[in-house]
Amino acid sequence: MNGCLSTRAGRLYVWLDKRFHISPVVAELQRSVNFALPSTLTRQNKSRLFWFGYPYYYAGAITAFLAILQGVTGLLLAFHYVPSAVGDPGTPTQAYLSVENIMKTIPLGALIRGVHQWGANLLVAALAAHAFWAFFRSPYRIGREITWFLGVVLLGLALAYSFSGYLLPWDQLGYWAATISIQIVRSIPVLGDPVAQILLGGTSLSAVTLTRMYFYHVSLLPVIAIILVGVHLVLVILQGVSEPEEAWKTPKTDKGQAEKRNAPLFGPFFPQQITPVLIISLVALGVVLLLGAFGVQPPGEPANKFLTPRFIVPEWYFLWAYGLLKWVGWVYDLVNFSPPALIFGVDLVSAKVVGILLAGAMFLVLFLLPVIDRGKEVRVLRRPLKTTIGVWAIGLLSTLTLYALNEILSANLSIPIDTLNMILGLIVILAPLVPAVPAYIVIRRHASRMPS
Amino acid sequence: MLVSAGVVGTIISFLSLLMSLLPGAGAGQQTGEVDNVFRYGAEPGTWYSDRAGAEVRVEDFDDIGKGAGVLWRGTIPAIVLRVDESKLRGARATNGLIAFASTCTHLCCISTWHLDRPKEDILFCRCHDGVFDPFDVAKDVMQNGTEYIGAKVVAGPPPRAVPIIPIEIKDGKLSGVADNLEIYGYCG
Repeated sequence: MNGCLSTRAGRLYVWLDKRFHISPVVAELQRSVNFALPSTLTRQNKSRLFWFGYPYYYAGAITAFLAILQGVTGLLLAFHYVPSAVGDPGTPTQAYLSVENIMKTIPLGALIRGVHQWGANLLVAALAAHAFWAFFRSPYRIGREITWFLGVVLLGLALAYSFSGYLLPWDQLGYWAATISIQIVRSIPVLGDPVAQILLGGTSLSAVTLTRMYFYHVSLLPVIAIILVGVHLVLVILQGVSEPEEAWKTPKTDKGQAEKRNAPLFGPFFPQQITPVLIISLVALGVVLLLGAFGVQPPGEPANKFLTPRFIVPEWYFLWAYGLLKWVGWVYDLVNFSPPALIFGVDLVSAKVVGILLAGAMFLVLFLLPVIDRGKEVRVLRRPLKTTIGVWAIGLLSTLTLYALNEILSANLSIPIDTLNMILGLIVILAPLVPAVPAYIVIRRHASRMPS
Repeated sequence: MLVSAGVVGTIISFLSLLMSLLPGAGAGQQTGEVDNVFRYGAEPGTWYSDRAGAEVRVEDFDDIGKGAGVLWRGTIPAIVLRVDESKLRGARATNGLIAFASTCTHLCCISTWHLDRPKEDILFCRCHDGVFDPFDVAKDVMQNGTEYIGAKVVAGPPPRAVPIIPIEIKDGKLSGVADNLEIYGYCG
């Protein structure tokens, strides 16, 4: 180990090793991490910078980098943020004023907040890309179910992070986004009310809620995230990264895993594999810095619980769920369905509850995918049904996102809202089929021609 | 002995902390005298935006169809309207005026009158396009089983009507009758 380091670093390594006996741990870690990275193709192609050719392998690395960046910028913001929402509705609270102070008077405050704001958006985007890639490539089939479960939980955790952070400036958008979201939680049959009250710290959104959200954002969620990310990464190291499907064309050698583990890799983690990761992380940093510097959003109007702002929409990554709630209401109106208020004392079939249950079911299906999808084939072009479902799901999420913007579109395009709702409602039903049906036909034809 | 007391104290503190997370804990109750007079809300760009916080008076509603977002008892958002009484079904207006809680029964956003859909005589919720008809007042049931009357849902996802607030007029000032306050607490 110390041979490849500079003399000074080598001396430090020796100093540490004498005191903490780190050599075996470092050697094992180095070997495990190297083994964890895709090796089959690396050898086939004799490529030292394997990951340049497979950009989807970056999504996880970018996610990790952005998570660290969020931690650092969040820590800096925490020095100046005051989590107090005591005050009259519509007037600036301490929380609101402290965010303004960060933006206006703290050196580099606006940039740091901008990076934190945009970093959160890009983190969710990278995580979504990571999840979609994993959905299509089915890495969970090869004993990696727990890695998948943890990944889906981490996706939910990232959304919880964003949600709790969104309220902190205590402005109108954050306040009403939180109100709506918590009422959505409250509508979940049986469990909703107690969970909502734990989130709120009472029966409605108040100063107590802000303190709780701040606690979740800076204390509870980071602890959970660090533990889960740690286990997720340890599993990746123990089991290795799922190799791209091209690798499956090459039959495994008889020499098997033992040789694979011990053979010198063409692309060891340090420095070859880490180099593209660092480069792409620097690119991500550059993008976030640019967006943070020029696209930072100051807080809006101070929160006013008696005044819902016009054209209220949640962050882009919640729009699909918001659109789903609206769309179910539209369907009920279309078929003129008036659900009974309560069934056995519980609201089960109102448009709101059905919308929430549908959104929850989509998340549950994603979580349980390793249990549902138990076939052995992982190649995208040999799985017509699953690939088609993935394409359809992307279309559905996109069209529901569009539906969520109906009021804004109606006002800007001067289309009567009922007409626009009819158009968008039908788009939600039909548009996802436009790419999905041809995809199914093409992939099925392709699959039948492919050698097994 | 001291150690035991310390351990017991720590356990009690910890249990108290856990209890504080449970439903119902921390729910602030309003204390002190609250009057029942309606006061104007602060929606910008409306005819009443410069009167925010002022008492609502009968003479302010001089035309049929004129309405305002108001606050009742300091915590309950509401809408007061002057209506054509011949069109009203299921309820009676007081001096041509009628009031409804404006908190949507769907996800607790505040409904508006003639702001987002100025040509339609509806109470409209901006969040998920819930529509209530203030001219069609009917009986409904709260989630806790309490019966009440309110403006019927005519479109969108709200599960039940927004409750009517009975009006009384004293010295030209509009007040709500606070006989059955629990029906207005559906959003906490």
